[in-house]
Amino acid sequence: MRRPAKTCPVCESGVRVLDYKDDRTLGRFLTERGKILPSRLSGMCARHQRQLATAIKRARQLALIPYIKSGSAA
Amino acid sequence: MARRYETVYIFDTALEEPAINEKLDRFHALLTKEGKGSVTTSSHWGKRSLAYPIKKKETGYYVVTQFEAAGELLPEYERAVKLDESVLRYLVVLNEGEPAKPMPQAPAVAADEIEIDEEEA
Repeated sequence: MRRPAKTCPVCESGVRVLDYKDDRTLGRFLTERGKILPSRLSGMCARHQRQLATAIKRARQLALIPYIKSGSAA
Repeated sequence: MARRYETVYIFDTALEEPAINEKLDRFHALLTKEGKGSVTTSSHWGKRSLAYPIKKKETGYYVVTQFEAAGELLPEYERAVKLDESVLRYLVVLNEGEPAKPMPQAPAVAADEIEIDEEEA
């Protein structure tokens, strides 16, 4: 059985450009370890996935989101 | 040619607000000299906890600034920011995004009035 194609969550929300300063939104696209969620899982379109990658990397530099989240010890 | 940039500074929280403003003024003076640039918006996020320690500090004072400046002013500006020990970290990026775009002209004119003007022209 084939699942119906997922739609891009960013396109759906009507946002065109992802902001690297918006750590809440970016946090939705991180795994619990702080890795970038693959578009295969989030259904993100290619354009937004590329934007997401740069946005997350910038946010990491600014200590808005961590590079690695350790499991128990925060 | 002037371009739009955006800088995020993270200051040491040991610094008082007047001291931070004074430093910002000094940095921005480098960008606006000779009338080659202007600072459009500057917003203070205030004290925030860092996602990981920087220079053994757990909190930082965030300031986001949008400005327009000629590219040749940037190296000198960045050097000044880099040399300042109270700036834990900074990031300068090209501001291409629409979100923070201030309307450049026609501030107080209603939208329908502009349309009429265009037809006449």
